[in-house]
Amino acid sequence: MSEAFSPWNMAHFSTNGSETTVVGHSVGRKDTSLKVTGHAKYTDDEIESDMLHAALLTSPHAHARILSMDRRRALQAPGVRAVLFGTDCPNHTGDPLADRPILAIDTVRYAGEPVAIVIADEFHQAAAALASIDVVYAPLPVVQSPKAAYEPNAPLLHPDVHTYRRNRAEANPIPGTNIATHVPIRKGHPDDVWASCDVIAEVEVSFPQAHHAYMETPAIIAEIDPDGEMHITTSTQSPFTIPSLIHETFDVNPSQVRVHVPFVGGGFGGKSSPYLEPLVVAASKAVGGRKVKLRCEREHAMQTLPCHIGLEAKVRLGAKRDGRFVAVDITYWFDGGAYADRAVIVTRAAVQDCTGPYRIPHVRCDGFCMYTNHPPATAYRGFGHPEETFVIERAVDVLARQLHLDPLEIRRLNAIRTGDSTPTQTLLTGGRVGNVPGCIDHLKKLMEWDGRAVRREGSRIIAKGMCCSWKTSSTPPNASSGAIVRVNEDSTVTLLSGVVEIGQGTKTALAQMVAEVFAMSVDRVHVVLEVDTKEEPEHWKTVASRGTLLAGNAAVRAAIDAVRQLQETAAIVFQCRPSDVRISNGVASCAHEEKAIPIGDFKNGYAFPDGRSVGRMVIGRGSYTIEDVTPLDPETGRGSPGPEWTVAAQGVEIEYRPADCTYRVLRAFSVIDAGKVIHPALALGQVKGAMNMGLSLASREGYVYSGRGVVTNPQFRVYPIHRYGDQPEYHVVFLETPDEHAPWGLRGLGEHGLIGMPAALASALSNALGVDVNEMPMTSELLWRIQTGG
Amino acid sequence: MHPMDFEYVSSPTLSDAVRQYTRFAQLGKRPMYFGGGTEIITLGRLHQVNPDAVIDLKPIPETQVMAVQQGQLVLGGSITLTQITDAPWLGEAFPLLQETVHEIADRTARNKITIAGNICGTIFYREAVLPFLVCDSKVRTYGPKRGKERSIHRVFNREARLEPSEFIVQLVTDETARTAPFVHIKRRKAGRVGYPIVSAAAIRIDDRIRIAFSGVCPFPFRSSAIETILRQRGLTVRQRVDQAIQRIPSHLILDDYEASRAYRTFVLANVLEEILQRLGGA
Repeated sequence: MSEAFSPWNMAHFSTNGSETTVVGHSVGRKDTSLKVTGHAKYTDDEIESDMLHAALLTSPHAHARILSMDRRRALQAPGVRAVLFGTDCPNHTGDPLADRPILAIDTVRYAGEPVAIVIADEFHQAAAALASIDVVYAPLPVVQSPKAAYEPNAPLLHPDVHTYRRNRAEANPIPGTNIATHVPIRKGHPDDVWASCDVIAEVEVSFPQAHHAYMETPAIIAEIDPDGEMHITTSTQSPFTIPSLIHETFDVNPSQVRVHVPFVGGGFGGKSSPYLEPLVVAASKAVGGRKVKLRCEREHAMQTLPCHIGLEAKVRLGAKRDGRFVAVDITYWFDGGAYADRAVIVTRAAVQDCTGPYRIPHVRCDGFCMYTNHPPATAYRGFGHPEETFVIERAVDVLARQLHLDPLEIRRLNAIRTGDSTPTQTLLTGGRVGNVPGCIDHLKKLMEWDGRAVRREGSRIIAKGMCCSWKTSSTPPNASSGAIVRVNEDSTVTLLSGVVEIGQGTKTALAQMVAEVFAMSVDRVHVVLEVDTKEEPEHWKTVASRGTLLAGNAAVRAAIDAVRQLQETAAIVFQCRPSDVRISNGVASCAHEEKAIPIGDFKNGYAFPDGRSVGRMVIGRGSYTIEDVTPLDPETGRGSPGPEWTVAAQGVEIEYRPADCTYRVLRAFSVIDAGKVIHPALALGQVKGAMNMGLSLASREGYVYSGRGVVTNPQFRVYPIHRYGDQPEYHVVFLETPDEHAPWGLRGLGEHGLIGMPAALASALSNALGVDVNEMPMTSELLWRIQTGG
Repeated sequence: MHPMDFEYVSSPTLSDAVRQYTRFAQLGKRPMYFGGGTEIITLGRLHQVNPDAVIDLKPIPETQVMAVQQGQLVLGGSITLTQITDAPWLGEAFPLLQETVHEIADRTARNKITIAGNICGTIFYREAVLPFLVCDSKVRTYGPKRGKERSIHRVFNREARLEPSEFIVQLVTDETARTAPFVHIKRRKAGRVGYPIVSAAAIRIDDRIRIAFSGVCPFPFRSSAIETILRQRGLTVRQRVDQAIQRIPSHLILDDYEASRAYRTFVLANVLEEILQRLGGA
């Protein structure tokens, strides 16, 4: 689509206008009735009589040699069609670094790693046959932490890392080490200015890996037609990346792979990278292309599938006596687990925004994504940003205390503004960054901040903590989205978009945008909630809070294109100029013509009563490719990682009981610069939901590994998450500083409620204890250990 | 989905249940008695419990009794935890039991879990037994030698000690104990649902505090040695608490994903102190 039809250039329609009738209002969600009536279908709901079922055998060892594997007994078990080992399908897979065999070959590198897959007529037969596969392991030394993995004498987990296929822009492994990627930042003169600092805060931070806790455990169905066409139905956030991954793994044409995604029951990043899809394709191949379903149990989701990344980090933050930040030096050792997956990109995301939303002229940062014998790590809501925020904000708090400055004021003093540059030296021009000082001012009011972080109430301590956060996406420079708008006979319209409905409600927001362009009720806009990669236009991935920017721009452009086509045909009918045709409320009208014609009458061109017809079928099309993104320089990190930054100021108030080291969160606050709120109720739900998730992660979640590296709590009965009733009061305020590249100036919103919660909770607890709390999860046991040294 | 095939039979009478059990066992099958089924479902899917047959005891009328008979509270083994928490009269008849079982699992699970099922469970917390341990309740069982009534302490020591085909029919509790001053405290890693770091049920009869624990060790227990120390005169509360904890072999104190051994010991000390304060032993 040429820029001439860009909405920004259309005289008659602009998404920069503030007068809106649908956008900015809370409308009914498009997925509600299917979900509340139980009619929404998820991948595992697809059951067919000729379908075969697969079950996974996974490694009980975190690191071991496989001495022998024997499937003879399993092959004789009832209903078993095939048993696959790694040597049967020796292809490596993984994006951006193909470091992972589909099934372990010779070595297992984490407990939970797939070792064999059984395909049988019935699921219970496949599951029962697992016990008949004989595998003999010889355990190897286990690498349990990213810092241990960084030690020069650590066991080498991937000695052949230099031979792996990789995307050179996204993964930078260092052969002969356990470093899956190294991402540096060198801005200003970080090594020369420390002497000029009046005070320096040094903090070390750590937390273990954790689970995404999506409600739907993933399921995958694969089938291969006799002509080689592959059909994959899967619970994924990234259907459009699967054809290329299958192409790279199996050497089939990407165009031969069709991916179908029904509803997805939550993702939070955990379904953003296709992990087991290649394995199920291999399973289908093993049974002549028959349809095979693999359903992950919760234990698999927590031990086998990629998780939230773990971290050990150290930070040094230097400032002048008046509180102005001068320099920062940060090292992250991320626990990326046994295979790199998206962890290498999470590492880059943390590095690129490592300073938080503060102006720091001199920055040195080294992000190492380390191989360990833990489960692989991937995207998690916030994508590197809850992690970098936790690190920098702990240092800001310590610095404020050392300088006897108000923690809110030191944040305001250093808040990044238009005209400043980011750690990657991106100049923040125009509306690229939201209003950080504005967020801080609103937070001050919202949490009734008077400079006192702590007050005593009998045997309890009431404490407040705060932080600021920011995030841009880590989108590749060609991340794109397309949309199609069709006009229906009944004068409704249908929007096709490749965004996956993962519970976030993006398609409702897109319908609002289309309705706004058509100047009609959102009830007249239909959306197709399922995604088929051969039917819907491509949408990069349903991740990174990018749905409303990428697909929003595409949908608006498609709607404008459809309106333009309607105007052209109607102009012939009305005998007026196209620009004089008004499309609203489902009809076309013209000032000097009494009759209004329903837009459905123009669906396939317009037919006059005498049989003549004019015009053509209306197909509105629109697309958008991300702008202002450039790769980071491998030496200095200089580059532009994303188009715009959503910023926020967040806080929590807690009640702490020193006697038994217990606490509860009373209130949690978020002030987020949303650019433009498209759907107030959805936006509020996103932010509160994200805050809930962040507080749950910060206060109680995390894998507990045994001494041998096995996750010991891979079930919800022993892995606590926030339950209904555990949540505090939520207070949320939105600011609206527009981003001129986005429809109505909106900014991404899906993750930002979470990002600051761990840091804000750590801040409040540190204030309550009078000792720094720099670890997650912040359980009572942790506080007890910090308070007593126990 | 349950990965294994098994037979299901329901028994209408006490003797039928034992007969069914014996029949399956003679056929070389592994039978299990079935109450709420929560463990059989959740552990079965992990192949940790593999019965060939289950015998449902819920239809047996004796296991459904909930009544006070001559001052004795009789509770059938098939009574669900929800039935206990939702019966208003039990708030007076056995408040400690009501409070204790209300903290087990969540409502959905309590709707299924039976009292005998929890006491005889594989998952070692078995918190429903705590009130019966401190009340010196009687247990009526049925087995190959027909019905028996014994002290809870004969039937339960760390876990239920029953003949293979024997099952709990009823639990019988005296009025004095079940209406005595009581405390139940449960401390978890986080939140209001989940397994205990420490769960303790206590009553006070005259000057003696009786106390039973779950979550401290991989089994519930009541210890007369601990109770003796707790009422020793001439010692501060803290001293009594510390000495009581020393009576628990430290290698038996759990050290796992819920809590480390050291932290669990700290929590136990706090719980004991609070119990002594609230029951007036301080």
